[in-house]
Amino acid sequence: MFVSDPWLRYKQRTRVAYDSEHAWKQKTVDMSLLGGLLRAGASYCQSAGTLLHTVRTISTGTCCQIRMHAIPQPKKVDRWTEKRSMYGVYDNIGILGDFKAHPKDLIVAPCWLKAFKGNELQRAIRKKKMVGDRMMTQDRHDLEKRIRFLYRRFNRTGKHR
Amino acid sequence: MLRFSFIFRGRGVAKRFASSFSNESALPPNLLLPTNLVDPDRLKRPPPPADSSLPPLRKCDAAVPAHLTPVQAWVESLERQDSEPLGVAQLHPDVFAVPPRLDILHSVETWQRNYKRISHAHTKVRSEVSGGGRKPWKQKGSGRARHGSIRSPIWRGGGVSHGPRGPTSYYYMLPMKVRVQGLKVALSSKMAQDDLHIVDSLNIPTPDSQYLLDLIRHRHWGESVLIVDVGEDFSENILQATANLKTVNVIPAIGLNVHSMLKHEAIVLTLETVKFLEDKLLWHDERYTPLYPFKLPYSDFP
Repeated sequence: MFVSDPWLRYKQRTRVAYDSEHAWKQKTVDMSLLGGLLRAGASYCQSAGTLLHTVRTISTGTCCQIRMHAIPQPKKVDRWTEKRSMYGVYDNIGILGDFKAHPKDLIVAPCWLKAFKGNELQRAIRKKKMVGDRMMTQDRHDLEKRIRFLYRRFNRTGKHR
Repeated sequence: MLRFSFIFRGRGVAKRFASSFSNESALPPNLLLPTNLVDPDRLKRPPPPADSSLPPLRKCDAAVPAHLTPVQAWVESLERQDSEPLGVAQLHPDVFAVPPRLDILHSVETWQRNYKRISHAHTKVRSEVSGGGRKPWKQKGSGRARHGSIRSPIWRGGGVSHGPRGPTSYYYMLPMKVRVQGLKVALSSKMAQDDLHIVDSLNIPTPDSQYLLDLIRHRHWGESVLIVDVGEDFSENILQATANLKTVNVIPAIGLNVHSMLKHEAIVLTLETVKFLEDKLLWHDERYTPLYPFKLPYSDFP
């Protein structure tokens, strides 16, 4: 079984090749050039059990080849930041806190979306009703056009009307 | 069993697998084992048996149904690192021994993630992109394809026809009894898997974070601990000790929720917290359906 660390720098590496006598042999291959490796690998092993590390090559037409590692490093995520460790706290403030508050009071959102769910037309109408007189003229004009278009689209076209 | 005594906690299970490998580098470096695998060190003190003869430090306030028996749990102390448990506490089975409903846990967890989610992804439609009012070239005769505006979705730089539109909310509410049952199932699961610890009070001798870490490691509570207490006033020592620790967190009892219970490996409750939780969660089993929201005054509640 071929066990190796895929994040090792692509330097000299030991490759295990499966011989025709069903015996595992260790061959050290000098891997200075990628193209040379692939050709050498093809010539070394004819049987189907060979494991090749394929590394992508980008050719710009000249002899300088850019090497890339096939498997990128996984990104390091800190699972215990303040936000992540305190996520969800006070979600049951209604049940456990005598119903003085509701979890919908915790939502951080534009005022027309607090504790509201709807499709695009419903959201646009609610935005115009609540915030419309505070909006800039171009934005308000776009919103009205969108409402008009969505009303006609939902109520006059298609299967559901 | 002799082999186990030489294995330090956390790599206990890994070392057993290591002996089966033939070459030197046994474990891959990126192996992540869950820390709550059955660890022989944690099985040293079993939970108190159901018919223990010790007088309980705390009995259930609410009436326990006749066909159920209260759950027994050790009451420990945080004063000294290696102190023995102070006694036994009885917990209500309808809060701490309900059947494990994983579907309710899943639905409450997804509700917690989604009800406050606002997606601010927004793309401009062809009418909102600047420009594009004029027909770029005449309809016939130029030899090019016919177009009406340079901001149509097939153009580069044009609007998106079916993209995300504006801030979207994913708000919904689960029924109150489902959320209450989710809390009960989470507490019962933690109790059943020996991850729930009862403490008489949160008094620590020193405001040192290392003391807490040593205590947790000595008692094999796990990697992350959630400490819950009733009331807004916490002692200065515990606040200072947990201020710099990432995986040990203190929350008031009002802030208890399923996501935090699933995120932290061990939960530590005080006796007052247990009373508070039983009081709040058992009320929903025998209440009438609300005629008007509970936040408006009722004659007999709270």
